[in-house]
Amino acid sequence: MAANAETIETVRNLGGEYKYGFVTNIESEILPKGLNEDTIRFISAKKGEPQWMLDWRLKAYRAWLKMAEKGEPTWARVHYPKIDFQDIHYYAAPKKKALKSMDEVDPELLKTYEKLGIPLKERAALAGVAVDAVFDSVSVATTFKEKLRGLGIIFCSMSEAVREHSDLVQKYIGSVVPITDNFYATLNSAVFSDGSFVYIPPGVRCPMELSTYFRINEANTGQFERTLIICDKGAYVSYLEGCTAPMRDENQLHAAVVELVAMEDAEIRYATVQNWYPGDKEGRGGIYNFVTKRGACRGARSKISWTQVETGSAITWKYPSVILQGDDSVGEFYSVAVANNAQQADTGTKMIHLGKNTKSTIISKGISAGRAQNTYRGLVRVMPNAKGARNYSQCDSLLIGDRCGGHTVPYIEVKNRSAKVEHEATTSRISDDQLFYCRSRGLSGEDAVSTIVNGFCKEVLQKLPMEFAVEAQKLLGVSLEGSVG
Amino acid sequence: MLEIKNLHATVDGKKILNGIDLTIKAGEVHAIMGPNGSGKSTLSYVLAGREGYEVTEGDILFKGRSLLGLEPEERAREGIFLAFQYPVEIPGVANATFLRSAVNAVRKHRGLADMDAMTFLKTAKAKMKELQMDEKFLQRAVN
Repeated sequence: MAANAETIETVRNLGGEYKYGFVTNIESEILPKGLNEDTIRFISAKKGEPQWMLDWRLKAYRAWLKMAEKGEPTWARVHYPKIDFQDIHYYAAPKKKALKSMDEVDPELLKTYEKLGIPLKERAALAGVAVDAVFDSVSVATTFKEKLRGLGIIFCSMSEAVREHSDLVQKYIGSVVPITDNFYATLNSAVFSDGSFVYIPPGVRCPMELSTYFRINEANTGQFERTLIICDKGAYVSYLEGCTAPMRDENQLHAAVVELVAMEDAEIRYATVQNWYPGDKEGRGGIYNFVTKRGACRGARSKISWTQVETGSAITWKYPSVILQGDDSVGEFYSVAVANNAQQADTGTKMIHLGKNTKSTIISKGISAGRAQNTYRGLVRVMPNAKGARNYSQCDSLLIGDRCGGHTVPYIEVKNRSAKVEHEATTSRISDDQLFYCRSRGLSGEDAVSTIVNGFCKEVLQKLPMEFAVEAQKLLGVSLEGSVG
Repeated sequence: MLEIKNLHATVDGKKILNGIDLTIKAGEVHAIMGPNGSGKSTLSYVLAGREGYEVTEGDILFKGRSLLGLEPEERAREGIFLAFQYPVEIPGVANATFLRSAVNAVRKHRGLADMDAMTFLKTAKAKMKELQMDEKFLQRAVN
């Protein structure tokens, strides 16, 4: 009841100030480009959000305006033309017309799905063919949700969570990535579109891997995605984000925020496979993937591990991190980042050791080809009270060809004498000898590169859930096509 | 089976092979000997089709078909096998995985279906027993 009253209130406010003249048509799917306070109110009203959520968004927006005056951060090793924040749709880009059959799908796209080994049923859904014509995803998702509900697990879209589980969301949102954390996180806090919300009750082990694939009513997400995952005491969840299929989007800027909270003895595994459109060979038109991901190991003996395979996007800029507050908590980061042609990547992690006997492991594999620039940027910080902290970091770069670059920027700040911090780094090339050896055994040039690269990334790929691991291997091969020769 | 006719080859512009003729019939074993720098390795690499080795004159016929113009993997699939003096390492790639990929590449070329993992392991283990090799080598990284 309260929610309805708030919504009416918001709409009334909207009616008073709105300039664009279509306030009566709340059903409209399209909001013209541009960003101002009315945009935020529109988004919040459209989603039927409670007042506190709107207030939160507005607070973030006002903070962002101040940041915008100073300008975007420029310390990363990535270059891109200045972004015009007024030239973006902040609520649902115009929906593409659904295709009627597989015959209408771009044959190149189908070829890629074939190479990646994506099951036939899924190809149609991914290609944008009207889903009910081919594949009954709705019923699959429904039976799945029933099972989870029985265990007390909440897994729904962020929009739904803000309405149906408002108290929970309000308690945790912004607690790991504060509203004013950084430029893009602040923007996200103001205009976030949708994402996932997961809550696992105490002692419950989520029986299946949660994947965004199963979220029904997925609006045009991906643009300003906001995800919040909470594992209560002793709980466990494994979450998969993304897919290997090449994804296009009308919107170029993707500024997502993911927050993870792990209580005592809880464990969260978060895996990402990202293959957003990287742009053409000159790097034009690709997606900008500017993401803030952070996990808080709040309770003792809690554990958070991030595993990522990033092969797409024109620019990948993200540092999935873990704050190790609880004693004996563990943080892990496993990453494969590929940059080919004109792609740029500045990615890594931050492990902040606060509690006692905390442990972190970082294994980063960067692969550069073409004219790409790949930078690993990591921070290992041991605070003064973090007695007995342990960290192991390994950063390996693989260069293919002679026009690309691999860079490593490790920051190590240790303020407690009992800490043990280890850092190893290697840089290597795929040698002509290795390639010739493979080819002399019958493997084609492409397969040789794929074999060598997969061997290079093996440690990280092993951390992925099985289905993802197989797809990821194929994806690595596909993303490096044409890099040798 | 293998006919090398008046083979001239250069490496980095330097002439190494100056008109080699050699005919090898099926079942025969030929040992080629010579002092360092006489071109023994070069001959092997030219046969295998390694990049950087240019044939300036002559021909190589394998089972009646010219090898010149064929990529290294194509020659391998035809049946040319080069044992390396200094085999390379490929970290993270298990011998079993690599061998199976190679076997299937050759099988595909011959129009045969892929050998599945189970059959491959069985076959490999049988051969290893014959050669008195420890099975553990299958899971070790290449070389």
